[in-house]
Amino acid sequence: MGELASYRLSDFILFSQAAYYRQFEFYNQAIWPLHIVAIIFALIIFYTLWKKPFWAGRGVALLLVVSWIWVAWAFLYQRFYQIHVVADWYALGFILQAGLIVWYGLIKKRFTQLSESRLGVKIGTGILFVALVFYPFIAFIVGRSWTQFELFALSPDPTVLATLAILLLYKASVALYVIPVIWILLSAITQYAM
Amino acid sequence: MKNQYNSSRRRFLKGMALAASGVIVPGFAPARAKALITKPIPSSKEHIPVIGLGSSRTFNVGNDPLGLDNVAEVMHHFFNAGGKMIDSSPMYGSSQPAIGYGLKKLGKMNDVFSADKVWTWNSGLGSEQMEQSRQFWKVDSFDLMQVHNLVEWEDHLKTLYRMKQQGKIRYVGITTSHGRRHDELEDIMKSQPLDFVQFSYNVLDRVVEQRLLPLAMQRGIAVIINRPFQRGDLIEELEDKPLPKWAATIGCDNWPQFLLKFVVSHPAVTCAIPATTQVEHVKENMAACLGLLPDKTMRIRMIDYVENII
Repeated sequence: MGELASYRLSDFILFSQAAYYRQFEFYNQAIWPLHIVAIIFALIIFYTLWKKPFWAGRGVALLLVVSWIWVAWAFLYQRFYQIHVVADWYALGFILQAGLIVWYGLIKKRFTQLSESRLGVKIGTGILFVALVFYPFIAFIVGRSWTQFELFALSPDPTVLATLAILLLYKASVALYVIPVIWILLSAITQYAM
Repeated sequence: MKNQYNSSRRRFLKGMALAASGVIVPGFAPARAKALITKPIPSSKEHIPVIGLGSSRTFNVGNDPLGLDNVAEVMHHFFNAGGKMIDSSPMYGSSQPAIGYGLKKLGKMNDVFSADKVWTWNSGLGSEQMEQSRQFWKVDSFDLMQVHNLVEWEDHLKTLYRMKQQGKIRYVGITTSHGRRHDELEDIMKSQPLDFVQFSYNVLDRVVEQRLLPLAMQRGIAVIINRPFQRGDLIEELEDKPLPKWAATIGCDNWPQFLLKFVVSHPAVTCAIPATTQVEHVKENMAACLGLLPDKTMRIRMIDYVENII
């Protein structure tokens, strides 16, 4: 395996920007009308953070778990893996993150206390707004076909961003940040290398 | 870094030039009108056009029907221009199935010079991977099978030699790219009975002129050049710069032809494999197979010109 060290990450980005975003277009066509479910997920998250029902923490954790597993299976493994030879490893990472959220948010029930830091709340809310509301419009804003939109719970980037926001709002354990931060780095490198 | 050969290499170079007579002729003697420039594979003397078609990135389109049809269209114009060699790898995502789609659509499964690679760190899985690749390509067998990026090369080469003996492939090769691991590649070229070797070379990255290209000539190994445009970066840098008027004397109407003719005019180079998603680009690239190739003096002039304007 020593040869692996001679590779750079960009050596594995062997697809064009056009091919990458077309994956989202076909994915969106294939999974319709699950987008409605994803929007309901987003609305539930906003509701729980606003109204703080007793089940808020577990509810949010459950939605995140379902989202991470779905993205791992339906997008990363079924779709992205077609053009990206390491996307199966990405999918495994997403499953692992889902497991961590199960352990932390559902078994340990640690999503209970919202952050009291005004800065933390502001940053978390801002990221959450970007992930759940703004992100789907990016494709259209930057001039790509609107059909290539990326939605929370269905596509990796907005799902990871929303998760980071929720981790910030609930002041979650550092361990839960590792995979989302790695993903953001990978996603940034991919965007740069394409 | 100028192109330099010692006297024994010059003699060998002369022999190679004679072998390819009518193709590389000092002083720009014209090739046959509209005849494709070809070069012989040293181990068999089979001639192949000096421009092939790479598939890294460009053919990795997944199941996108428009993308697949575009790949087939590029391949159609490649074959129409007389192209033969298409190169791929299991590393290139869906490029292999895309090539298979194009070959089937165009009915070219028996006309292509199929060059693929084995790329797995588990050498026990090499044969299975190559069979999977063959099914993706929809060909009866591969012409050339190469060990990708020197991965587990000892074991994979043993498998490839056995497959060659059994008639399952015609040529054995090994590849690297981005200028990596040249020392190890050099040792392999010295010790292994290779038909082909593949590495990166272009008008600015000429380090392979020092040892690998002369060694390939000495050992009678055909050379495939990847990244002749530095993955498009060279074209981007040069597209706004003026093409020298004297480029017309070697039949270059544009920068891609200039860069390709530089690469394939090295006496040790058998062919280059630029990759593209665009029909216009494949036409431009294949036009580098026509007309004249620069001789040593012209090659030095080409280097000087490019180095001065970049």
